[in-house]
Amino acid sequence: MSKNKKYVMVYAIDRCVDCKACMVACKAQWEVPEDYFRTHIDEKYSPDKLAANRKYFLPSQCNHCDEAPCVSVCPTKASHKREDGIVYVDRDICIGCKYCIVSCPYDARFFNEEVGVAEKCTFCLPWIQEGHQPACVTTCLSNTRIFGDINDPNSEVSKVLAEAKKNKSKIWKLREDLGTEPNIYYVQS
Amino acid sequence: MVSLKMTRRGFLNTAAISAAALSIPFSLKRSVASDNKSNNDKKIHISQNWCEMCFWGCGVTAYNREGRVFKLEGQPKCPKNYGKLCARGNSGIYQLYDPDRLKKPLIRTGKRGEGKFREATYEEAIAYVAEKTNKAIEEYGKGTVSLIAHGSGEHAFINLMELIGSPNIAIPAYSQCTGSRDIGWWLTFGRPYTTSEPIDGANSKCMMFFGRNVLEAVMVGEAQRVTEGLAKGAKLIYVDPRYSKTAAKADIWAKIKPGTDLALMLGMINYIVNAKLYNADFVDEYCSGFDELKEAVKDNTPEWAEKETDVPAETIKNICHELASAAPACAIGPGRRLTRYGDDTQHVRAIGILNALMGSWDTPGAFYKISGMNVTIPHICEIEHAKGEEEIERVDGAGSEYRLAPKNLGLENKLMKGILAGKPYPVKVLFAYGTNLFQHYPDYEECKQIVNKLDLLVTCDIYLTETALYSDVIFPESTYLERKDPISVVAEKYPYVKYREPATAPLYNTIGAYELVERIAKKMGFNNHFKTVDEVNKEILEQLGISINVLKKDGVYVKPIFDGIYPQAEGKELEFNTPSGNVELYSTFCERLGFDPIPKYTKHEMPKGNEFRLLFGRQSFHTHARTQNNRWLLALHNFEVKAWIPKGKAAKLGIMNGDKVRLVKGDKKSRELIAYVTDEIHEDAVFIPHGFGRLSEFMELAYEMGGASDSNLCSNDTDPISGASAFHNAFVKIEKV
Repeated sequence: MSKNKKYVMVYAIDRCVDCKACMVACKAQWEVPEDYFRTHIDEKYSPDKLAANRKYFLPSQCNHCDEAPCVSVCPTKASHKREDGIVYVDRDICIGCKYCIVSCPYDARFFNEEVGVAEKCTFCLPWIQEGHQPACVTTCLSNTRIFGDINDPNSEVSKVLAEAKKNKSKIWKLREDLGTEPNIYYVQS
Repeated sequence: MVSLKMTRRGFLNTAAISAAALSIPFSLKRSVASDNKSNNDKKIHISQNWCEMCFWGCGVTAYNREGRVFKLEGQPKCPKNYGKLCARGNSGIYQLYDPDRLKKPLIRTGKRGEGKFREATYEEAIAYVAEKTNKAIEEYGKGTVSLIAHGSGEHAFINLMELIGSPNIAIPAYSQCTGSRDIGWWLTFGRPYTTSEPIDGANSKCMMFFGRNVLEAVMVGEAQRVTEGLAKGAKLIYVDPRYSKTAAKADIWAKIKPGTDLALMLGMINYIVNAKLYNADFVDEYCSGFDELKEAVKDNTPEWAEKETDVPAETIKNICHELASAAPACAIGPGRRLTRYGDDTQHVRAIGILNALMGSWDTPGAFYKISGMNVTIPHICEIEHAKGEEEIERVDGAGSEYRLAPKNLGLENKLMKGILAGKPYPVKVLFAYGTNLFQHYPDYEECKQIVNKLDLLVTCDIYLTETALYSDVIFPESTYLERKDPISVVAEKYPYVKYREPATAPLYNTIGAYELVERIAKKMGFNNHFKTVDEVNKEILEQLGISINVLKKDGVYVKPIFDGIYPQAEGKELEFNTPSGNVELYSTFCERLGFDPIPKYTKHEMPKGNEFRLLFGRQSFHTHARTQNNRWLLALHNFEVKAWIPKGKAAKLGIMNGDKVRLVKGDKKSRELIAYVTDEIHEDAVFIPHGFGRLSEFMELAYEMGGASDSNLCSNDTDPISGASAFHNAFVKIEKV
């Protein structure tokens, strides 16, 4: 029996140049409220402050956690984990209580004042079901972002992660200590 | 207006106003349910275009749902961007729907710069322009009409100038940007560098840039090539007084004293020659002047260069070894906006020499050769000038005083000076298309004096810019997403044609430059037949032998190229279109014109005491002075304009990170900036992002951003070889607000 799809994203962060195209592509496609973004790029410094390449760029967005705090605190089940791994907010059920916004350890959610709901990355659902890649992935000029089904061993994400393991690249997820089981993989050679 | 500044992920802020949010009626919640919209909706309309958020022209597909453009996506086949877009490209939608856009033709009613206009019909505005232009021509002659233009519609206005018979056309991309770069490259190799930016990054083993912030002043294709090369393990050497995002990707960042790049290059040449790191085969076979070069740089040792540049001699030597071990798959980029210190052509000559010494030419990992398409671009209208008609002298000296400056691009800096001086004859009419003089011509006051010399200043733009503010007539142009322009041919590694069709009907009472020019010409009394865009496109498609459906599907048609991209690697005989037919390490053309045949380093003036050298440049998310009203882009930098200030001097001045500061030059004071105090910029310099410090309150967000306008503070020197401008010889002080 074939397993369900499980969508994840991999960031090959050595490639990111902080052009911020992903932030705008997402914002445009989903009419994200004024001055908000569903994904971000942050400037970070490595502990070795003298290295030429001491600064690096770290993308972030909703981690579509397997044990998502936003899902467990949602009083109406508007925030829910889908079978394909996506954590989704049903706008018809969301009452705008904002518990989820405060509960998210990744600061990935914000309140959409126009619609009165919590908002975040959806991995571009339903756009991806129509054969497209998420907007941030399509536009990424450095190919930092890789998206796909981790349950499919032939998907690009599976291949990239296997290759990274083989090359002993650094692979991590954010705040795994919290037990949220996030699904964004950071890879750095 | 409410302050735009907010914490980026300001949920704490929004929590404070949650009471207001809860009062939103439930029905409104349903009205914006974008998360559920599907592409299967039959009402989606797809159209092809090329992006005009900057000038590179990346292929873009626009998605329109129920009359509203909601998504822009790179065309996968376009060789400029292969399916990708930058932040600016993605934000074209905001520009399209920007409430601050020009919506109707305007005629000035107040004083110049006062901002008083009345709305007019096209008939009235065009009649006004035609009458005043004809009157000026009658009084002062044809040359009295001038044009400064930048953008896809520039060709329409160039056509108008050809009809009138005036030679006074200037495309600022030359004198204010790449002029010295292309001349310096051409003097060395016999061909200009071109805006294909033909660095073969994807195959490179080592790339070096001198202040060419390739990952922030983004051309998508070039950045793709460079990041691809880096991902494959290429080394990156980056020279800049400032730790830019390109520096963050570098293996070696040389924090150079600004103004001394040429010393570093000569130090490298000296070391490469003496340590015999050069590619002797390439030098023997293709280069001339090696012995003269060796002699000329004999005193420019790395140790000498260290004293000039603050880059350690050991680092200089390391750089040379890195390049040599990668050669010929290495590339030293000649830069792009080379309007720095007035010796910019020689600066590119030195970079050309470095590449020649490495044999980095027409070979993978170095530079590739571009080609064009065998297509004759039809003229929009046929122009016949009477035979024996006397050629009118150009005001800017392109081709005469500045012999190497090409006449088709002209010298904007010298045209402006000519208007001010009224010499050699009065220029009384200026058309400004898609360009904003005040934000790129040094000194506001001088710019005001220049425009006040004019009887007629006409602007065609999408915003009421500073230049529009001083204009007599303003024509609102349709944005690229609302108009149809003729098919355009692009020379590239894989040459292609690009296609533009409207993604939406014009939102306001706007038209494209081609239609506008035809109507102005007719009103001026020219009876020439103007071809429609469709007629021009038909002629081009017939020459290509393809159907319009190819372009409607892919947006571009790419000519397959199988060889000739890397002639050296392909074992072909290399040709250099220089006077000697060689790569000229010693430039015979420079010698003939009385310039140094081999670049020489001359010390520039340096800042004294509390002065800083003013440096400015691009951020990834803004283009020129064109995108500073785009709220989506402003939000990317949290609506802040920062000045990079070196730590040591900041401490002396009592300036802390986050302080509000102004730049001061004589009696000029900039608007406010936020201090970014850092040790990642050389102590001599202050850096500001280009395009801010605006005057026009009609671009509301851009105006509210404050910041400093580099154009009001920078130098206006001239490179004597290319005639192009030099902006970075200005010194400013910084004061706390």
